[in-house]
Parts: sequence; structure tokens; C-alpha cells
Amino acid sequence: MIKRYIAGAACALGLVAGAAQAQSDGPYKVYLSMSYIGNDWQAEASNMVKALAASKDYADKVDLEVQVAGPNAQRQIQQINAMVQAGADAIVVYPISPTALNSVVKSACSRGVTVIAYDAEITEPCAYNVTIDQEEAGRKTAEWLVDKMGGKGDVVMVTGVPGTSVDTARTKAAKEVFAQHDGINIVGEAVGMWSQAVARTELNKLMATRDWSDINGLWMQVGCYTADSMQLEAGRDPSELLPCAGEGSNGGRIQMLPTDTAVEGASKPYAPMGAPRISYASPPYSGALALKLAVDKLEGKDIPKHTTLPLPLVTNDTVQLCETGSWDEQKAGCNVFQPSMVSNPGWFASIFSEDLPQLGLNAALVGQPEN
Amino acid sequence: MSDQSLSSGAAPRRKSSNWLRSLRHGQAVIVAALVLAGLMALNAGLSPYPLSYFDISFLASGGATSAIAAAGQTLVILSGGFDLSAGAVVSLVNAVLATSMDPANMQASVPLWTAIGIGIGMAVGAVNGFFVAVVRLQPIVVTLAVMFIVQGLTLLVMAMPGGFVAPSLASVYLGDTIPGLLPAPITLMLVLVALWLWLKRTGYGITLYAVGSDAEAARATGLHARTVTFATYVLAGGLYGLAGVFVSAQTGSGDPLVGNSLLLPTFAAVVIGGTRLGGGKGGVLGTILGAYILMIVVNLLLSLNVSAYYSTIAESAVLLIAVLAGSLRRDSTLSQRLREVTDAIGARRRGWLVGQRSGEDHRLAFTRPAETAPSQSFLQRHGHTLRHVLPAWICLVVVLIATQLVLGNVFSGWRYWDSLLVLSSFLAILALGQGAVILTGGLDLSLPWSIALSGVMLTGLVGGQDMGLLTALPVVFAVAALIGLANGLGVVALGLSPIVVTLAMNGILQGAALIWSGGTPAGFAPPSLRWLMTGKLMGVTPVIIFMAAFVALAIVLLGRTGFGRRVYAVGNSELAARLSGVRTGRVIISVYILSALCAALVGVLLAGFSGQASLGMGDDYLLPSIAVVVVGGALITGGRGHYAGMLGGALLLTAMQTLLAGTALPFAFRSVFFGLVILMAVIALRK
Repeated sequence: MIKRYIAGAACALGLVAGAAQAQSDGPYKVYLSMSYIGNDWQAEASNMVKALAASKDYADKVDLEVQVAGPNAQRQIQQINAMVQAGADAIVVYPISPTALNSVVKSACSRGVTVIAYDAEITEPCAYNVTIDQEEAGRKTAEWLVDKMGGKGDVVMVTGVPGTSVDTARTKAAKEVFAQHDGINIVGEAVGMWSQAVARTELNKLMATRDWSDINGLWMQVGCYTADSMQLEAGRDPSELLPCAGEGSNGGRIQMLPTDTAVEGASKPYAPMGAPRISYASPPYSGALALKLAVDKLEGKDIPKHTTLPLPLVTNDTVQLCETGSWDEQKAGCNVFQPSMVSNPGWFASIFSEDLPQLGLNAALVGQPEN
Repeated sequence: MSDQSLSSGAAPRRKSSNWLRSLRHGQAVIVAALVLAGLMALNAGLSPYPLSYFDISFLASGGATSAIAAAGQTLVILSGGFDLSAGAVVSLVNAVLATSMDPANMQASVPLWTAIGIGIGMAVGAVNGFFVAVVRLQPIVVTLAVMFIVQGLTLLVMAMPGGFVAPSLASVYLGDTIPGLLPAPITLMLVLVALWLWLKRTGYGITLYAVGSDAEAARATGLHARTVTFATYVLAGGLYGLAGVFVSAQTGSGDPLVGNSLLLPTFAAVVIGGTRLGGGKGGVLGTILGAYILMIVVNLLLSLNVSAYYSTIAESAVLLIAVLAGSLRRDSTLSQRLREVTDAIGARRRGWLVGQRSGEDHRLAFTRPAETAPSQSFLQRHGHTLRHVLPAWICLVVVLIATQLVLGNVFSGWRYWDSLLVLSSFLAILALGQGAVILTGGLDLSLPWSIALSGVMLTGLVGGQDMGLLTALPVVFAVAALIGLANGLGVVALGLSPIVVTLAMNGILQGAALIWSGGTPAGFAPPSLRWLMTGKLMGVTPVIIFMAAFVALAIVLLGRTGFGRRVYAVGNSELAARLSGVRTGRVIISVYILSALCAALVGVLLAGFSGQASLGMGDDYLLPSIAVVVVGGALITGGRGHYAGMLGGALLLTAMQTLLAGTALPFAFRSVFFGLVILMAVIALRK
């Protein structure tokens, strides 16, 4: 329905603009090839791309079509090729595999199509990439944790999807930091698959033979929200919560707020409790930024081969509640949203980008641009 | 004179009936070819540009990997087996090639590396074949265990995507055999088909069909059934290896996860191509066409601009239509059912229907039951059941002791047990539904998205309030019952293979869940549900008490009720059951409803456990739900199994995962260990 609305809006705006601009290039045909739409991150990323394409600045420039490849790299190869055949000017892609797409991307490039990958990388040199520095993310969060633990104690790690470059880079960097401190022991490592639900079952297995008091710190890619919920269920007081490094979910950031913060719609464990935490995530706006860069490139501007996004790190000192979630408000420094507006605690809160004033909270929630 | 005229009259008739018969014999393949041609024509018509040689070449290479892998799967399925290790082998070969090729050598030998790839695949196939043909374990468990082991090994070979595959491979496999006319992937397909047509006519091929049709009969007539079964797994492994070589050529590098998602599409390709699941009918040609149908659908969805939310629904529709069209004929189940319905209506009108006769007892005098039944000892009565139930429990004890030795805290407190029982409750519930379906000889692949849809609907409807449960739970379970009913009707009335019906249903439910939630599920589990899963009642998580009641009910349902007896009867022989007066259709439909209800219950409990629902929450439960049932002593072909064993299987798998999660072993080793334990459990089962 949103899609139809956007298409309608794009058509209407296109007509108006087309009349004004006379016969220029017409809207660019841009395709988005996503991997899987069954999780919050992907849904937000796709909402933000759609919102950008529907915003006033882009509606007359871009004709966007979204397709999903699922988890199968073979299908994405086929899909990208079909997009080239259908006359794409640019393809924005969430790559299922950083390497498997190389040859199809190369052939797309050779036909003059701009290919931009977001979040994960494509190693083919002709592709453009928009990512965060995963290694930096792993290192910075691990350093924060070591610091919080005073350089000694037992750590439990919850990693992402084994066999992916993102997981490997983050986990390796974090382990290197822990290895530099003799006092730090990694006592358990669970595979969290970047899912709160999986993190919960895995943590349950880990804690079956341990007590929370046996552990001094948690390093997670996703799961701090869940870990804190589990500690509360186990009867620990909010003041005893373990320091947890990782996770950019809104629920996690609400938990970081001081206990006496007034928020709308909070109910435990989705409530302020002053949880010691450093929060980061791959920001879901990277897809929208990739679309912006693609249009820049098509308009003849120079864009960097690799755009490294600033790492959105939030600690207890910098966490700040938004009232409306508009872009202007986020620019002023707020980075977590009212539970009454974002009912899903697993929803990713790192949606602010300097470069995308078209996108506020509503863009990520329902695909509606700021203007 | 008259002789002559007779023979000249008869010969053409026989010829034409032969021709008709071979046409009907190849109906599925012809339909698949027509569907593919139709979809390609539609796609070409929708595309703004004419279909060029380049496009065809790319299309050919796009579908090749899954076509080759599916060809291997076809062989295994023809033999009556099932191979879950296909995708894992593709990944392994890709990883090995990408890590061991010399980046400086651009002209690496294509035959050498192809042989290495095929060799690796054959080696894995030989392991599968050994356990299936020689040790005579059930193919589905063997290949499941091997899948976990191979996935672990792949991650040991290559921890993350990268590596190098020489471009010489790409120029051979993706280049042109005749430039501008024949792309290399099409040549490869033609070679495969030619090899298959030859193989089909050899002694091996004939035995393969015989074994798949009736393994007992094949063995009884003196065919080398075991050798052929073994060879089939080796050959299939070789084809997965070739698919791995192809994917390496295509991508020019390695990714340890590249093949893992190929597994379900290979099944879809096999059934679209007209091969019967269960064996004995079909072939590689149809499968290759099926794989390309699945690929062209991707292009079609793009040309038609189908919303992402509807894409899985569209694919499921293609799967169902292709399979239905391929099997439609006078003696197909659907037309038979239609005839039966008209007959029944006619009989009712004339008053001939059995149900219309008086309910008087027509029992013959000599069938009166004996006055006294000979008393049997406990072992005599339950020995057979115990033999299949106990291994899972014995393995469980071993794992528990191992956990105590490695991690401690097992026998000293309640915490471990509480956690084990809560975590195993999901699998224990699924085991009842999946178990009942498997007991009738079916399989329910729609569990993942039945679970997710139920969870997402529950949190969406309930509004975070306990009162909301009163309206939400009936809705969720009613929807689940409808899902089960649709699955059951697909199997019974349309006569489709359970795997096809439930696979398609899974895709439809995935679309439904996405549309319902708009991509991000809203809402929370209400407090009472969260308390059930994470609270404490006198130190015990309340769901454990619920599970105790559930287990008792499940054992009674399958072991002590008429429904349970009918389930076993259908599984042992559907025909015999029907002739004995069992309404087999109703029994089959009800096990699918039971399975969907169990999945819905798991969705609800998982939502309570996590506090919220997520779309992928059912993904991790499909293969374990099958593993639990089989490790618990059930026969995948139906008719044998006991819920107590399945419960043991659920506890065993969860305990094993808990043990592995508690260690600091890398994920790769955990995967290998997990596979080995499953394998050991089923070997123990055989003894």
C-alpha cells in the first residue's frame, strides 16, 4: 500500500516536474535488491530507501523498484542480471555474499550500470560500497567493556552469523582487544545470529550451568536488551546489571536512560533502568545513502568508491531521548525514541545521517519522508 | 490375406498407443518444458528489450548451480532417499577451491580442479552412502548429521568469504561453446542430460528405479540394491561437487555459506520436474527444467514488479501449479477424488451408501472375542517400543554426564534442569505434530512460518494485555487449524506429495506474515504469557508444569486413543487401513491440523519467551523438529515411533546444544560435534 502510494506520488510529481524540466533525462531507473525482509533492520532500511525515493528532492529524479532475493546468493545473481536486462541505471544492493556477486556486478558495470552495495561489501572493484568500519566497531566496544570492568573479569560473547565477513571482522577485533588484557577471560561464546530471539535461547543455554554473578561483562552484536531482561527475570536488581557492549536497538537505548527518566509507553523491561552499555549498530540508513550516492553518480558527480559511515556509538553519557524524532531534533543530538512511538524494542535506533535531511523517524517507521 | 490385413491394421494402433504411452510417461517433463517456455515467452514479452544471446547465456549460468545440485538430489530421491547435505557440499567445495587455488596462477588446470571438486563431493557422498546402504540408517537423519558436519568443516576451511578461483574456470564454464550460439552452461546441461539418458538404460539405472519403487522386491529379485544405493549417494555427491565447482567459476571466489540456502530450492526443482518423492519415478531432465523454472520466476517477478511481500506467495503458486499440471491425468488422485465424490452423491441418492444402512450389528458368530486373553510380561508388551525409545534416553544420560564433567552444575542444582526443560519444550511440542505427520508417512515443512505467523499474529492482536489473550488465542489457533486443513486437503484431495504442499504453504505463510506485519512485527507478549515462560512458581518455570500435562496428553493421544491407532494404521499401510474401514483421508487431514496447532502453540510460547515476536523466529525449528522425531526412534516412512522417544530426542538435542554452547569451542567444531552425536544416536537406535 505504501508502495502504491509512493508510486502514485512519484508519478504525480514526475508529471509536474516533467512539464517543468521539459525533456531532460527523465527519472533514473533505480533497482533495490534486498536479501531478506524478515527482520527489523532490513525492514527499516527498505522503508528509508523508499522514503528517500518519495521525498520531494528525489521523487522526480528516481523511479525505484524493490525486489527481494531471500537468503540465496544464486537468486540475487539472477536478480541483478534481470535488473540490468530491464534497463536499470543504477542498482542498490544489500549483498548476500561479498564475493558471490562479483562476476554479475562486473558485467553490470560493463553495461554502464552503477552498482552500490550497502551495509555489507562487494569486493568487485567496480562496485561502490557504503559501510561502517566493522573492525572499529568490534574494537571500540571491546575497549569500552575492558575499561568498564577495570581490566579484569570474565566475559561472555554473543556473536552474529558465523561465516560472514561482518561477524568475523567484529568478533576478531574484539577478541584481539580482550587478548591484550591478561585479566580478561572469555568464558562463553554463543552464536546469536543477529536476532534477539536466538540470543535469548543461546544465553539461556549458556546460563544453564552458570550464575549471572559468575560473569563480569557482556560483549554482544545483538542481545544486550535481552540479556538485561534475563537478569531482571533472574531477580537481579537494575543497579546490578552487567556492563554490556553492543546492540543499537531502541529497547537497548531506552534501558540506558537513567531510571528516573520520564518516557511515554514504557513497560519493563522496555523501560529506563540506567543499564551500563555502549550501543552501536550498522545504521539502517546506509541503503538510503547508497541511493543518494547512486543519484549523485548518475548526475555526473564524483562519489567515493568506499563510503565509511561514522560509527554511531552511544554511551550512557551521550544517550538522549527524542520527543518527536524529526531529523532536526536528531541533528541536535537525540538518539533514542519514545516507546509509545516505537513499540518494537528490537527496532534499530541509529537512523540519523547528516547527509539525509529528508529522513526522520517516520521514514524508518513507515517510509514517509520529512518533506 | 486376412492375416496381412489384421497385422497391418494392428501395427499402427499399437504404435500410436505406444507413442501415447510414452507421451503420458513424460507428461511431467513435457509440462515442465511448456511451463518454462511459457514463462520465458512471457518474460520476453514484458521486457522492454529483446532477449539477446547474452541474456540467454546469463540465464543459463544463473540456473546451472541449482540445476546440477538438483540433478544429484534427483538420483537420491529416485532411490527412495532424501539428501539434506546437498547445499553444504556445494559450500565445502567452493571453500576448498577458493582457499587452495594459487592466486598467482591465472591459468589453473580446469580438469584438475573439477576433478578435485567432484572428488570431495563423492567422498561426502560415500559417507552418506555407507551409513544409508551398509549400516542401513534412515537417509534423512544420516544426511542431516552429515550436513552439520560438512557445514562445520567448511567453516574450518574458510572462516569468512574471500579466496581466489582462477579465471580459467570461469572461461570454461561460463564461456561459449560456440560463440554467439551455444553458451557453455547449456552445453554442460546437455552433457548431463545425455549422461543421464545413457545411465537410465544401464543396469544401474534399472536397478535404481526398481529400488526406488520397492526396495524389498528389488532385493528379493536378486538386484544389487545396496550397491546401487551406495553408488547413488556417491554419484549425487559428485554432482553437488560439480555444482560447487560451477559456483566457484561463477563467483570467482569463495563464501562458506554460499550453498546452504540451495537445499529447499533443489527439492522444489525436483518435484516441479515430475520426480516422485519416495522414489521410482521421474528423472534428471525434468529436474533441470524445474530448476530453470524457479530461476525465470525471479526475472518474471521483476518484470511484473511484484511487491517483495508477495514474491514468496507467487513462487509457491508456480510450484503448486507446475506440480499439479504435471500430475493431472485420469488416474491421478484429484480426478479419482472427484469421481469418488460424484459416486458418493449418486449412491446416497439411491440409498446405497454404507452410512445409510441400519446401524445393526452384523458380527459373525465366530469372531466373538476370546473369554480370556493370554497375559504378557511387561517386556513382551513394550519391548518393541522400548527398543526404539530407549536409545535417545541413554544418549541423553551420556550427554548429561558429559555436561557435568565439562561444565559442572548439572546434578547439584535445579537451574540446569529448569533451563533444559524450558528450552526443550518448543521441540517437544513440535515433535507431537511433526511426529504424528511422520507416523502417517508425511512430512510438514510449513512449520517455520506457521510458528512465525502465529507469534506475530498473537503479539499484534493481544495489545500487550492479558485480557487480549482471550480473543487473540482463539484467532491464532483457528488460523492454525485452517492452515493444517489446507495442508491436509492438499495431500488428500489433490493427491500431492506432503513435501510439495507444505513447502508451498510455507512460502504462502511467509508472504502472509510479511503482509500482516508490514515487515516489522508490532506489539508484545502479555505479562501472563511472559510469566509462563520466564517467571517462577515455587522455583519452577510455570511452562514446565504445562509441559508435564502436555506430554501426558500426547502419550495418551498417540498411544491410547482410537485416533492414535488410526494414525499408526495409516502409516503402516494406507491401503490396508482404508480397506479395514479407517477413513484415511480424515486421519491424514487431522494430523496436519494437529501439526499446525502445535506450531501455533510454539509460536505463542516463543513470543512469551522472547517477550515479542519476530519474523524469523521459526527458522531454526524445521530440521530439528524432524531430527527429534527420528532420533526418538520413529521411522521416517511412517508407522513406527512413540512420543516418549521423541520427547527423549527433544531433550537430547537441547542438552547437546547446551553442552556445546557452554564450551568455548568455535562454532565450526560445535557443528561437527552436533552432527556426530545425531549420527551416533541413530546408530545406537539400530542396535
